[in-house]
Amino acid sequence: MSLAYNHPILELDNVRFLYSRGKSFINNLSFSVGNGESIGLLGANGSGKSTILKLASGILKPSAGHIKLWDKPLQSYRNKDRAKLLCYLPQLLDIYVPFKVRELVSMGLYPYDIPPEITVDEVLEMVGLKEKSETYITNLSGGERRRTFIAMTLLQGAGLLLLDEPLANLDIKYQLEILRLLKELKEKKNISIIMALHDINIALQFEKVMLIKDGRILGVGNPETVLTNEMLKEAFDVGIEVRRQDLGRAYVSYENNF
Amino acid sequence: MKKKIIILVILSITIFVLSLFMGPRVINPFELDGIEKEILFSIRLPRVMVAVLMGIALGASGAVLQGILRNPLADPYILGISSGASLSAALGLLSGLYIFGRFTIPLSAFIGASVVSIVVGAFGWKRGGLWPERLLLAGVGLSFLFHAALMLLMSISTDEGLRRAVLWIFGDLSIADWSLIPYGFVFIITGFIISISRAKALNALILGDELAHSLGFSVQRERMLLFVSIAFMTAASVSLGGIIGFIGLLMPHIARFLIGADSRVLIPASAICGGAFLCIADLIGKSIMPPMEIPSGIVTALIGSPYFLYLLRRRDVLSI
Repeated sequence: MSLAYNHPILELDNVRFLYSRGKSFINNLSFSVGNGESIGLLGANGSGKSTILKLASGILKPSAGHIKLWDKPLQSYRNKDRAKLLCYLPQLLDIYVPFKVRELVSMGLYPYDIPPEITVDEVLEMVGLKEKSETYITNLSGGERRRTFIAMTLLQGAGLLLLDEPLANLDIKYQLEILRLLKELKEKKNISIIMALHDINIALQFEKVMLIKDGRILGVGNPETVLTNEMLKEAFDVGIEVRRQDLGRAYVSYENNF
Repeated sequence: MKKKIIILVILSITIFVLSLFMGPRVINPFELDGIEKEILFSIRLPRVMVAVLMGIALGASGAVLQGILRNPLADPYILGISSGASLSAALGLLSGLYIFGRFTIPLSAFIGASVVSIVVGAFGWKRGGLWPERLLLAGVGLSFLFHAALMLLMSISTDEGLRRAVLWIFGDLSIADWSLIPYGFVFIITGFIISISRAKALNALILGDELAHSLGFSVQRERMLLFVSIAFMTAASVSLGGIIGFIGLLMPHIARFLIGADSRVLIPASAICGGAFLCIADLIGKSIMPPMEIPSGIVTALIGSPYFLYLLRRRDVLSI
């Protein structure tokens, strides 16, 4: 497909969402995701990151507004067709059933009647779990489990991944492992990613971030312009200082709070 | 895995054949006299058929239910379908209304089971779909209610109906005859086929609603179909031979241990294990102190609970 980098894959236009109690939670939300773009979704607990990802994946239906996937209304897709284009991974991946890694990963083929060319072994290789293909998922570490699910989404072959806190509850080693893997995928396969985050330092490494508070976008763009001290104070309600190293890399400091 | 399935099938057929010819009176299939032919075709064969059908229904619906409720301790009876069926059957028996002749017990059980399935489904329904936690709680709540009503009925009744009701509730296969088998067969096989055809969706639902959606399934539609398959199988099995515990709970764990967790093989494997296990339980129940018979439901519980506790000790099997 010879589409420009910025061609929007997913567009949300004036999306509104109300939880059952009638209070509007997401209001007039508009943004788009370009082909091959990766966006870090940053905000405090309860700011609406998960809700936004669930709306974008069609799990929740907007009360008003439009969501388009590849220029067509998201709800107009057949479930299986949508699954080939868009994939959502929830934050909690708790399953009690002892599926083997290979069994779980191969579920990525469920949307297909004719399996795509990519094989289970190939995706297991990509996430570095080939040796564990016969291991029970219940015996894996948190990081391995997360990578198993990422392998499943790779087999599913969707061009847009919506990941809800994929780094939550993981040791720094596994966090970096998953970030490296996602970066590699983006570069090799031109996959677009929206990823909910809570670590500002990680968000600073993204090319594009979206800062969320109370279900609305505080700012969107490159981290340098969006993740300023003032904006972060507003989003997290705590004094945070963004500092810059000599090499130009930014990091946050919380030391004024102690 | 294929090898394991073949061994399981061969073993089950062996058990099936053994339970036809073994029992209080051992029958030699090569030297059948008139009485033995009569025992074989009028008593043993329908009884074994009922055991197999019930085992299939309970094993398969246990595997489906543990999946849709995402709870390894779920049993088809947890939804209250069986206690509703027993109450309804007991009402049919104790009221002395034999309007349907020998169909009274099974028919009233089936009606009870179907009505309760709809009621549980209605309680479990919210915002355009069935929700596992609601289903579970509604089932547990209704079960208590039906049990209480059943106990009340039994405590105020003194007639022969009482003994029959108790026997029937604990899974009495001795009432099995050919007349019910075609009806039970149709419902159980329909439920079984629905569940097998939705096995991929069940795998996805086990991962959670959101992942199931992401994998391209209509979560509520699939859950509804699977619930209907359970209702068909459980209602038909209760009306064939009463309540037989532990099969629905235990067989999916054994099958998962032997064959694997993929629902596409787990459902049929649980069904086969269920059929075989109930045949053995029935054979033990009728052979251990003839002419007295121990209801199969008691035998399955006596064998099943220690084995279940053993499995519980093995963390890798239950993973809880």
